[in-house]
Amino acid sequence: MKKKINTLTQKGTKKPLLKKISHINLEGQIHDLKSNLNIIKRQLKQGVNREKIVKEKLQGEVNQGADREKQSANREKIAEEQLHIRTKAMESTFDGIFIIDALKPDFKIIYANPSFYRLTGFSMNEVIGKNYFLLYGDIENTHTYEEIKKILLQGKSFQGEMVRLKKNGEKFWSLLRITLVRDNNGIVTHYVGNKTDTTLMKERNIEIEEQREELLHVTRVGKLAEFVSSLAHEISQPLTAILSYAQAAQRMYKGREPQLQEILQYIINDDQRASEVIRRLRYLLKKTKPTFEQLDINVLINDTITLILPHITTKNKAIKFESGKDMPAFQGDRIQLQQVLLNLISNSLEAMESNKDSQEMMVRTLLENAETIKVEVIDSGCGIPPKNMEKLFSHFFTNKPDGLGMGLSISRSIVEAHGGRLDAKNNPDRGATFYFTLPIQIKEKA
Amino acid sequence: MGTFVHFLLLIRSNKRNIMSSNIFILDDDESVCRALKTLLMTYDFVVKTFNSAQNFFDNVAVNDPGCLLLDIHMPRLDGWEVQKRILSSGSSRPIIFISAEKQDNATERALKVGAVGFLQKPVNAQTLVDLINSSVK
Repeated sequence: MKKKINTLTQKGTKKPLLKKISHINLEGQIHDLKSNLNIIKRQLKQGVNREKIVKEKLQGEVNQGADREKQSANREKIAEEQLHIRTKAMESTFDGIFIIDALKPDFKIIYANPSFYRLTGFSMNEVIGKNYFLLYGDIENTHTYEEIKKILLQGKSFQGEMVRLKKNGEKFWSLLRITLVRDNNGIVTHYVGNKTDTTLMKERNIEIEEQREELLHVTRVGKLAEFVSSLAHEISQPLTAILSYAQAAQRMYKGREPQLQEILQYIINDDQRASEVIRRLRYLLKKTKPTFEQLDINVLINDTITLILPHITTKNKAIKFESGKDMPAFQGDRIQLQQVLLNLISNSLEAMESNKDSQEMMVRTLLENAETIKVEVIDSGCGIPPKNMEKLFSHFFTNKPDGLGMGLSISRSIVEAHGGRLDAKNNPDRGATFYFTLPIQIKEKA
Repeated sequence: MGTFVHFLLLIRSNKRNIMSSNIFILDDDESVCRALKTLLMTYDFVVKTFNSAQNFFDNVAVNDPGCLLLDIHMPRLDGWEVQKRILSSGSSRPIIFISAEKQDNATERALKVGAVGFLQKPVNAQTLVDLINSSVK
């Protein structure tokens, strides 16, 4: 022990020992040793007998008791474990983490975790010691980077989402957050960056947006087609009557009144011309045939709710989905059935809108029987006035100021094309339930 | 001249089976009913019109002879349903479907379920009469 202290106090041997200790990361030990050394040095300078001091020092330490030594060893062990866990955590997180030296002006990266390398595609050599804002070497983002630097230099943290390129040119969405680390005097010593790959989330959002657009488009086209079809029907009826009257008159006056005959012929010709226009218009907007595929009703409803959920939440309402267990797969047109569901859900939402007490609507799936799936959309809105019950599903019937009166009639024709039926009833307490059935096997229409 | 035409018509109608001269029209559009009735009367048919399926079933017995012009697009019971009901009542009444909408395979479907045929509105007089006559041959 005496020998060891001697060597320690000798210049030149101090450094290697310290280095070795720091290498194994035992900061506490280094600190203890350093302070011991300082005491010893001071006492040596004061000219006190070296051996005595050493003895006293050692004796003092021994006298402080074995317990204390044990305690300090324990603390060190715990600290060491903590440090180990924190390091491991940093290294295993999905987020890319990097640390920038803030005391120097060139934003040098002094640490990056493995996820950072994985996310960016850079190797350690390309990152450590490099200016973070020059890492990508692109001019494209200079403006953004200048903004970030400005924010950081103002002592604020930064958060933003951007498209980044990996080293291999692959695009990814990066959520970048940079926070400041200060020392005890409040000086910013480091910037800690956190890079999250939000590509999947972004893509999912874009996908949802696209689906919503597609559905809206189909709904609009569907509405137009249905509108034209109904209009065509309404106009065809009087055209039928006009043609029949004219042909009847022609027969009644056959061989007589040539001028009248001529007029009647003009009426017939123009009637047929108008019919032809309608026929062509209808052909132009011919409804696309449903494309049937194997569907799971619960998945379909979940997807649809995802699409309309933002709309429901902005209206401060909630939607609950009670999915029936073991619902069998069925054949159906995904887009068309989503259209039906969206229509029913948004109708319910509108029925509930004026009433602050009605907060929640529910979609429920169940098996009506072994061959039939039943879907219910239950709201707690204003319900359906009995006088409207009959007309509810007919074209052009609406009680909304800006409604076309097509939604429910289109929905019904879609459900019927699937071999099911769509109907409505008022709930015993309040609100209404719209429900439709879907056969698991579509029967050929007789 | 008019009398002559009338005379010819009479001969033609006499040639026809007496059962065939009865026509029933079932269409929810009153104007269409009235116009078709006027037209068919010039062919000397005896025409009765009905605006709803219920009205038709209430007033026409199963074995009342006559061809039925049946509109497809009607509220509640549509044309296909009405035809099914007539068939199941044991009646062999000839039925011609008419509709303002061009339905896919409507003609094939009409023939498949045992009807005489399908015509799209507006209906041409001669085509209609020819089809009615063919139904009773």
